[in-house]
Amino acid sequence: MSVKFGSDDWAKQFKDEVNKSSAYKAAAKGWKWTVGLVVEAEPDKNFPESLGVVMDLYDGEARDIKVGPASDAQKCDFVITAPYSRWKQVSKKELDATKGMLQGKLKLKGDLPTIVRYTKASQEMTECTTRVPVEWPDES
Amino acid sequence: MHDPGSGRMAGRKLGLAAKESSLVQYARAEPSAFAEMLGGLIEANVRAHPGKRKDFDVLVARVGIWVTDIDEGVTLAFDAGRLTIYNGLEPERTITIRAEAETVMSLSNLKIGPLGLPVYHDEVGRGVALKLLRRKLRIDGLLPNIATLNRVTRIFSVH
Repeated sequence: MSVKFGSDDWAKQFKDEVNKSSAYKAAAKGWKWTVGLVVEAEPDKNFPESLGVVMDLYDGEARDIKVGPASDAQKCDFVITAPYSRWKQVSKKELDATKGMLQGKLKLKGDLPTIVRYTKASQEMTECTTRVPVEWPDES
Repeated sequence: MHDPGSGRMAGRKLGLAAKESSLVQYARAEPSAFAEMLGGLIEANVRAHPGKRKDFDVLVARVGIWVTDIDEGVTLAFDAGRLTIYNGLEPERTITIRAEAETVMSLSNLKIGPLGLPVYHDEVGRGVALKLLRRKLRIDGLLPNIATLNRVTRIFSVH
């Protein structure tokens, strides 16, 4: 059953997908930093307010994934920021997250050597988002 | 046309002192996201590892990197302890690396062995070697510049 993008149910399903992924578990071994996703508002896409996703990831496990204000996500060790429609492209596999970062479509803040070391984990994390059936605000 | 006078410092956002932030500069006032990412990565690597700093301080070479699936590239002009990054490919390059984004990221994930040589026998190394054999990774100027490529790989590697 599909869930509303950015809802608590979406966060829960996303967390479940991450914890189900053996590929993520292996690739993220040793990861011990929080990751914040900032989804910037796009009122013309029926997404009027920015939101933040705070991910407490530790050693291959998602301990918690919460949706809240963008300011919470901005406090994380690593912050990835993009407008709503870019995140939608990533979730629908229309935009590869690595390419998006190299092109500046997704903006990354945090220690670059660390994130590069865990490229495979971040790719698998992106795969997990694509497995959550989503109801998009500009499609409802 | 590039404008070396309008460079930006990689450490600018960190508020480092001028002397501290002078390792990497950008030829353009508005470097591409790819240029900023590479600059940030190299600067962090060099600052964190004395061995990489030693390589950085002696390396003189112009290295082009072209990411084939996003049609973007940079030229890294290493000049014995200074690096200037140009958007796009500039002339007179020592080495030019052409690969997809994922492979470029793999290059910075190559481990460095005890003799300072990149490790090609682990999973990442085998993947890179296979791409080289299948010409999904092309390195122009490789044969006469193997020592330079190894030095660049050491600077580039996050390990």
